[in-house]
Amino acid sequence: MDIFHDNPMLTGVRQMLGAFATQYIRKVAPLHDREESMPWALMKQAQSFGMSQTAVVDGRKALTGKDDADDGAGKPSTQGRLGVVGSEELAYGCAGICLAIGGSGLAASPVARMGTEEQKQEFRRLLQGDDEHGHLKVAAMALSEPSTGSDISSLSTTARLDGDHYVLSGHKQWITNGQSAAVYVVWAQTDPAAGRAGVRGFLVARGTPGLVPGRKEHKLGIRASETAQVHFEDCRVHKDLMLGVGAESKGLADTKKMLDSTRPMVGAQAVGIARAAFEYLVERVAGGTHHGTPLATHQRIAFELAEMEMEIQAARALVHKAAWMADHRQDNVRMASIAKAYGAKVAQAVTSRALTLLGDEALEPDHPVEKWYRDAKIYDIFEGTGQIQRRIIARSLLGVNPT
Amino acid sequence: MDFALDDDQALIVQTVRRFVDKDLRGWAGDADRAGAAPVRLTTVAGELGFFTDAVPEAAGGLLDGPYPHLTRALRGLELGRGCSAMAALLECNVEPALAVARWGSAVAQAALFASLVDGGRATTGRDARGRLALTAAGDGVRVTGTVGPLPALAHASHVLLCAHQGGAPVVLLVPTALGTVTARAPSAWRAAAWGTLALADAEIPGDHVVARGADGADATAAVLAWHRTSLAARATGVAIAAIEHARHYGTERVQFGRPIGQFEALIGLADDADTASAAARLMTLHAAWLLDRAHDGPSWAAAADAASRARVVAADAVGRATVDAVQIFGGYGFVNDYPVEKLMRDARPYAQLVGDERFDRILAEVAPTGA
Repeated sequence: MDIFHDNPMLTGVRQMLGAFATQYIRKVAPLHDREESMPWALMKQAQSFGMSQTAVVDGRKALTGKDDADDGAGKPSTQGRLGVVGSEELAYGCAGICLAIGGSGLAASPVARMGTEEQKQEFRRLLQGDDEHGHLKVAAMALSEPSTGSDISSLSTTARLDGDHYVLSGHKQWITNGQSAAVYVVWAQTDPAAGRAGVRGFLVARGTPGLVPGRKEHKLGIRASETAQVHFEDCRVHKDLMLGVGAESKGLADTKKMLDSTRPMVGAQAVGIARAAFEYLVERVAGGTHHGTPLATHQRIAFELAEMEMEIQAARALVHKAAWMADHRQDNVRMASIAKAYGAKVAQAVTSRALTLLGDEALEPDHPVEKWYRDAKIYDIFEGTGQIQRRIIARSLLGVNPT
Repeated sequence: MDFALDDDQALIVQTVRRFVDKDLRGWAGDADRAGAAPVRLTTVAGELGFFTDAVPEAAGGLLDGPYPHLTRALRGLELGRGCSAMAALLECNVEPALAVARWGSAVAQAALFASLVDGGRATTGRDARGRLALTAAGDGVRVTGTVGPLPALAHASHVLLCAHQGGAPVVLLVPTALGTVTARAPSAWRAAAWGTLALADAEIPGDHVVARGADGADATAAVLAWHRTSLAARATGVAIAAIEHARHYGTERVQFGRPIGQFEALIGLADDADTASAAARLMTLHAAWLLDRAHDGPSWAAAADAASRARVVAADAVGRATVDAVQIFGGYGFVNDYPVEKLMRDARPYAQLVGDERFDRILAEVAPTGA
C-alpha cells in the first residue's frame, strides 16, 4: 500500500472490487466486447455491492457504510480517493463494464451538485425498479453534440421557455447509455445572448414526447458500455426540472467543474487497463520460453516489464495525488489533467508494447490484451482529449491558451 | 543512385492504385463488418495478376524470370492504402511459391503450384518462440502443435512453415489436410480468412521438407526477408492512408472557430506520422531493391538485415500513425462509421506476425550461430 492508502476503508474497497473484477467482470468481458452488449446481469450484481445507479446522488454510504458528513467538518473527504481506488479495480476487470456500471454516475453528478431535493428525488424515482426488459434503470448525461466535441462552449441544443416548460431542440452525440436510459441530463442553451452562462442542464424522463434515442455506435473499444446519439425534437420539459436555478448556476462552468472532478477517476481507469495488460504479460513471461530458454532471463523482455512497471507506478501516483488534493479541498485542476493525460498515455503505451512482445499469440480472437489495447484509446479522447488536458496544463503554467 | 520508377514499375503502381481507389477502398468497410472479402475480389484481382504472380510460367503461373521484389513492395504500399485484410489475401501466395520453386522438391512444386494455379491459397508462418515439437520421421518430419493464427490459413491448401528441428532451422510445406484448420476471427484484418492449423504427430513427408541443413538457414532467412519487406510495404501504406484521412478530416472539422487541422498540436501529430512513414517507405523500398540484387553471401545478408529493420520501422510507423489518426478524429475516430477505427485495429498484425526482429537481432549477436 502506498502513502495515500493507509486507510482500512480504501483497502477494503480495493480488495472487494478487485475480487469482483477478477471473479466476475473478467469472465463476461469477452462476451460483451464481442456482442457489444451491456452487462445487465453484472450491473445488478454490482448494485448489491453498493454500486447503485444513484450512488453519486446518494453519497457513499451504501458502499462504505459512511457518509461524507461522517468525516466531520474540516476533515479531509475520502470521496476522491475512493473514486480512484474503485475505478482502477473495475477497469482492471474491464473498462467497458466499469463504464457500464458507472455510466449513470456521469448524469448523477450534476444532479448531486446542483439539484434541489425535489430534483434528486425525481432522479431516484426515475431510476427505481426494473425496465420492461427486466434490466435495472440507467441514466445518461447528454452534453456532447455532433459539432461540439472538445469545444463544449459551442453547444447548439436550445431550450426555449414556453409557459411553464422549456422546449428542447437539438442532437446529442457519443452519449453513454444514450439508447437505454430511463432519465437523461441534457445540456442546452437557454439564452444564446448569455453565451456560456446561459447553458443549463435538464432532467428528461424516457418517454417524454420529442425525446428520441438514436442509433447505437459501433466502437473500437469499451464495447460493453453503450454509446448512442440522442435527438430532441421540440421536447417539452417542465421548468422545475432545470438544474441550477438562478444565481446557483454558472452555466457551462458547472459542467467543466464536473469534468475536473471526474478526471482523476478516468485516469485511474486507464491505470487499471495498463495494469491488466502488464500483469498478463508478467505471467506470460514468468512461464514462457523462447526456443527453450526462459523468457524471464532475457533483458530484451524483462527490461520492458521493468519500464512498464515504472510508468504504471508513476501514473498511479499522479492519479492518487490528484484525488488526495481534491479530498483536501485543494485546487487540483492542473493535477487532475496531468493524471488523466498521463494515465491515458501509459495505458496506450503499455497495451501496445505488450501486444508486440506477445507477438502472434495475441492475434487470437478475444485475446484480452488486444481488447485492452482497443479499450485504452478512448482514455485519450473522452472527458477531454489529451490535447485539451495539455492545453489546461499549459494555461495553468503560462496563463495563456496555446493554439 | 536513382529513386525514379522505371516504366513497368510506374505502370504497376498506377494500375494497383486505380484498383485500390476504385474497388478495394469501397469494399473495405463492408468486408471488415462481414468478416469476409467479397467474392469478386478473386476475379478482379486474378485478372490483375495477383495470386499466381510468383508461380513459374512453366507451372501455369505468371512468373517469367526473377521475382521483382521492388515492384512487389511498390504494389504493397498501394494495397496497404486500400485494405490490410484483402492485401494479405492478395499477397499470401508469394512466399510459398518462391520458396518452393527455389528449394522445394518436384513433388512439392507440383502439389503447391497445382493448387495455386487452380485458385488455391497458401500462407506463411514462423514458429518464432519454438513452441512446435518437430522430430524426425524417416526422411520427413513429425510436427505437433498449433500453427497460427495466420491470415488466409482458413482457406489455404498449404502453409509454408519456418520452424526448428533439433535447434536447426527447417522450412516445411505443410498440407493443411494433415491437421485441423479452425477459422479464427480476430479484430484485425477481419476479412483475411484467419485460421489456425492444429497438428498432432502430423508427418510431413521428406519431399515436403523444403529446406534443411545449410539450405534451412538460407531458406528461412529468405522467406522472412521477403515476408517482412511485404509486411513493411503494406504497413507503410496503411500509415499513409491514416494520415491522408486525418489531414482531410482536419480541414473539415471545426472546433474553437477554426478547422482542427490548423492547431499546432494536431499538425505536429500528422507531421510526425509523415516523417515516420517517409522513413518506413524508403527503408522498405531499399530492402526490396537489395532483395532484387541479392545473391549469396554478404549481399544476401545485407538484404535480409534491411528487411528486418524496415519491418520494425514500418510497424512502429503504422502503430503511431493509426493511433494518432484516431486521436485527430476524436470521438468520431473511435466509431466504425469513419475509416480510421479499422486502420487502428489493422495496424497490429504488422508488428506481431513472424516474431520480433529486435529480439532476433539481439539474440544473433549474443549467440552468432543461432538462427
